[in-house]
Amino acid sequence: MDNTQSRTVSFTMLAVRPETITAVLVLLATVVMMLAMKALNPTFGSMGQIAAILTTSIFLVIASYGQGLVILLGGIDLSIGVVMSIAGMIIAGLTNGSNEALVWAIPVTLLSCFAIGLVNGLGVAFLKVPPFIMTLAVATAAFGVALGVTAGSSQRTVAPALQLLMSAQICGIPIPVLLIVCFFAAGSLLQSRTAEGRKLYAIGSSIAAARIVGLPIEALTVAAYGVSGLCASLAGMLLAGYSSGATLDMGDPFLMPSIAAVVIGGASVTGGKGIYFGTFAGAIFLSALSTIITVLSLSQGWRNIIQGGIIIIALILQTKQWYLQKMANRRLTGQGLANRALSQTSKV
Amino acid sequence: MNQTSRDRRRPLPSSLFAALLYVVMFVIYSINAPSAITLLGITDLLNNTIVLAIAAAGLTLVILAAELDLSSVGVIAVSNVIVATVSTKIPAGPFVSLLLVCSVGLLVGLINGWLVAFLGLQSLACTLGTMIMCQGVALVILDAPGGEVAAFIMNRLTDTVFGIIPVAGVILAAVVSGWLLLRRTRLGIAIYAVGTDAVASHLTGINVKRTKLGVFGLAGIAYGLAGYMLSAQTGTGDPRVSNSFLLYVFAAVAIGGTSLGGGRGGVIGGVIGAGILTVMQKLLFAVGVADFYTNIFSGLIMVVAILFGNLSAILTLRQRVPLIRRPNREYSVH
Repeated sequence: MDNTQSRTVSFTMLAVRPETITAVLVLLATVVMMLAMKALNPTFGSMGQIAAILTTSIFLVIASYGQGLVILLGGIDLSIGVVMSIAGMIIAGLTNGSNEALVWAIPVTLLSCFAIGLVNGLGVAFLKVPPFIMTLAVATAAFGVALGVTAGSSQRTVAPALQLLMSAQICGIPIPVLLIVCFFAAGSLLQSRTAEGRKLYAIGSSIAAARIVGLPIEALTVAAYGVSGLCASLAGMLLAGYSSGATLDMGDPFLMPSIAAVVIGGASVTGGKGIYFGTFAGAIFLSALSTIITVLSLSQGWRNIIQGGIIIIALILQTKQWYLQKMANRRLTGQGLANRALSQTSKV
Repeated sequence: MNQTSRDRRRPLPSSLFAALLYVVMFVIYSINAPSAITLLGITDLLNNTIVLAIAAAGLTLVILAAELDLSSVGVIAVSNVIVATVSTKIPAGPFVSLLLVCSVGLLVGLINGWLVAFLGLQSLACTLGTMIMCQGVALVILDAPGGEVAAFIMNRLTDTVFGIIPVAGVILAAVVSGWLLLRRTRLGIAIYAVGTDAVASHLTGINVKRTKLGVFGLAGIAYGLAGYMLSAQTGTGDPRVSNSFLLYVFAAVAIGGTSLGGGRGGVIGGVIGAGILTVMQKLLFAVGVADFYTNIFSGLIMVVAILFGNLSAILTLRQRVPLIRRPNREYSVH
């Protein structure tokens, strides 16, 4: 018994999951990119700048978690940008510069954005509307409501406590960085180490198999979109705190990067594959890239071109990686494959 | 007699429900805005429809082959800024720019097709990439709204031929007849086959990869044309085409009865779907609904369109089943 246990462990150690390799490679690429930038421009890369990159990455780190869960199911959430803006507008409108209101304003914001996510999930799970259409439609409608309610007015004051949260430091470490670490730990645990998280992988891999096994597909789909709404709302509130105000379009620049982060992190857009570590690495990479583009003072157009190009290159590298893996698998003996399967099941 | 009974056995076209809906919407619209049934009103309506209609026609081809394409907004933006920067600057600007936007559309379409068919990328994700890149290219060409579209394009393409036929109508007719021709070619048949079952069509000897490449290429040309027509409407260049336009293009295709799963539907449905959405917008405007509520409506309409599309698919399938089982059944009244 003890012997099999240790063998399983050793095989797990040997066969590092390809997603982890992708994530590490993306983080390495980030470091290389930063070093190259440093070589070109010695003033770049001060501690302050790195802290700033990490601080601003929090929005993407959080928002892309929800996107990652939805993509894990083979869906996509195009409402993240709008939900982030709406969350910022609600928290700014409700607190209006007072800290006391935060106690009830935060739950209200989270709940309303959770509701938007639930509507997405219900449409996808029960009405069988394709995810990208459902979420785009809900985003458009929600934006219309927000535009109607606010009459287009934008700037409002956010509670000072939120602003302080985004700018203060503990022992020289910015609070957002600590928040990122906590969120990363919690998110990874939820996605990869809980039964519910593993069920998402099962549904994403094969919905037919998941149905036969009897997994609650509809409920988990609704939950995934709900969590995505929650994450976007959290990111939106923090964004409002960071920029000490809210506008109706402040979340828009985060929609495409949230998808890009997931794709760069090695997740499959058809679902069933990808870990949060990868998405996290993708988010950090994009944040660093965004800062570098700003430092190089490239225009928005070039920013888009680079971002789109990176998505496509990441997709191409992914298919190449799968191809190599397939070749490697073919060479593995049946014994090796069986052991690998054993180690996979022991994880579940 | 033989001929007619064979015709009756054919399933109802999936765009039939959309056509009925269009008639109903148009009647309601013309009751609310009597000027709609004048020549000017019809020309205006067609002018407003054509950009969406051509884009929807292109997207329909891709969707029929069971792929998705988000690059339409990107290509339209690029074409728009190309026309706005080039058409007044060079000799024979209107024609050269038309050629230019078609080639750019074709190029982007072929890149999409190559990525999807030959590298095996997921179409939704990689066309998202090309869409973002195209929007970037548009911003690089023209970083703020501006530029100038040649007066020839603006005047001629929004006018009428011989004073009675709107030019937009002629172009729409050309698009539809192009589709009717395409449907009878090998490529046209291959599109349906690939969309229904790629593996089976590969086994019957259809070149699946080349079909998908062709579909994306044709769609790219259509988006380029749509961008050209958009420039004719607006008379200026704007690098930012809103993402809600993307929603409308998909809505038009879905309302037209084209299944998003591929293999069922057609371009005519997409064109009618574009017409429905345009009439709806004009109707909302005529009734006096506030501007921002149209956002809410378009979101709703989109979801309803998909449900409607699913429903019409079910209805046409129901229609088909008894016809297959009882081939001699006669219908006296339709």
